[in-house]
Amino acid sequence: MLSDITLGQYFPGTSVLHRLDPRSKILATLCFIVIIFIAKSSASYILLCAFAICCALLSRVPLKLIYKGVKPVFIIACLTALIHIFSTKGGEVLFSYGIVTVTALGVEMGAKMALRLLLLLLFSSLLTYTTSPIVLTDGIEALLRPFKSVGVPAHELAMMMTIALRFIPTLLEETDRIMKAQTARGADFAGGSILTRLKSLLPILVPLFVSSFRRADELATAMEARCYRGGEGRTRLHELAYGTLDGGCLAVMLLLTAAMAALRWLS
Amino acid sequence: MLEVQGLKHYFTDEQGRTVKALDGIDMHVDDGDYVAVIGESGSGKSTLARHFNALLQPTEGRVLVDGMDTAAEENLWAIRSRVGMVFQNPDNQIVAAIVEEDVAFGPENLGVPQPELGRRVREALAAVGMTAYAQQGPYLLSGGQKQRVAIAGILAMAGRCIVLDEPTAMLDPRGRREVLATVKKLNEEQGITIVYITHDMSEALAAKHVYALEKGKVALAGTPEEVFSETDELERLGLEAPPAGRLAAKLRKAGIKINGNIIRDEELAEALWP
Repeated sequence: MLSDITLGQYFPGTSVLHRLDPRSKILATLCFIVIIFIAKSSASYILLCAFAICCALLSRVPLKLIYKGVKPVFIIACLTALIHIFSTKGGEVLFSYGIVTVTALGVEMGAKMALRLLLLLLFSSLLTYTTSPIVLTDGIEALLRPFKSVGVPAHELAMMMTIALRFIPTLLEETDRIMKAQTARGADFAGGSILTRLKSLLPILVPLFVSSFRRADELATAMEARCYRGGEGRTRLHELAYGTLDGGCLAVMLLLTAAMAALRWLS
Repeated sequence: MLEVQGLKHYFTDEQGRTVKALDGIDMHVDDGDYVAVIGESGSGKSTLARHFNALLQPTEGRVLVDGMDTAAEENLWAIRSRVGMVFQNPDNQIVAAIVEEDVAFGPENLGVPQPELGRRVREALAAVGMTAYAQQGPYLLSGGQKQRVAIAGILAMAGRCIVLDEPTAMLDPRGRREVLATVKKLNEEQGITIVYITHDMSEALAAKHVYALEKGKVALAGTPEEVFSETDELERLGLEAPPAGRLAAKLRKAGIKINGNIIRDEELAEALWP
């Protein structure tokens, strides 16, 4: 059970999207999120959908996995759509019963809102599917570095994330061990109401917390012994570097933004 | 390499009593030496280990690393890059989520630039025989492999001395052999100074010099032959001679004539069937 844990939802691969610099991918995702909100006409939505589908295909991540990533927001998307359908008034009346009126404009707005949400999630899950958590952390650190002068602790945040990622498997293993130890003494984790189940978690959480503190203390000593003194003057084994692919990514995002702006304001 | 002069380390416990963890230790470790420090739990051996790379400062006395005083703030990083520590729990000393990145952690902290950094990491991994695991997550490694990665991390800092604080206490016999073989190889082939803290006498046999601690003081010191022949004194310290030595003593008591000072298995075999 514990040997095959995957961190986050990274899907290893060598596609174009996998090979992009994490900074490019993070910035492209942010850019995409912004231009989703520029979209207004149906044409612009078609363009966005086409782009997102191209990216999904380029990533070579199985469509089933992508579907799994988007699935959680289906309900929210449907709810949003329904609220818009019933609350927006205008255009041709399609259906009317008592105080409930469904108009063409309402349907259109509802569909677009739901689409926005789905696109948002699709694109950001593509980022996490094609970037390993470690590389993602490096990317975030590099992007936050310029804001250090205004007090953003870029290195410290990245170091915390790295250590958290490093210790997730270790702590999972430990949880498993503690659970087995408690089960051997007659603890029951599966049965009972939600309240009893929550209560039965306590004998797992307390030892887990205690040992986490001990681990943190030992790790801090080990880090100190290895000359760790914060981010100042540190070099990196794998320094991030932009390549030609990243130039291409920039060009594509610029073109897409220009096209979306043109569809919104020129037509 | 290491010079300990009249080292005392006192601390106050939860009840407010003063505990003398180290009470006047004198020790000398040459360049390229292989020293084992043995002693019961609570004899102060772990405290001593933490003095060698300035994780602790002396209450009294001095610890010199290549002539640098560990009490002086300005020497701190030079000392820590020269003397590396391997701790007991292999899990709690690995920082990064990839083996290669973890080995690079030390030199990264020292600001070693590329391509020097990459070269050091490759050489360090090769020296401990972990090259094939460079891209793996540490959670996939065995305990012995994790300890070897920790040793590689010190080599990559260009450390000249490795202090190992009971590195095999949490390992299976195979991991134990891996770590011991790696340490021996580094000492012999690269002349790396080794300080090996252990309560396992058979692990101390590989050393050139042995120090036995008792209540923060050096009770016995010398070559393994000298220290392990003091069977009565060892027993008083709560330690026992290596298995071959104990067997030889029993055989002698039973009337079998065994010549020489026996501490290693091969020596006993040689003495019984010359």
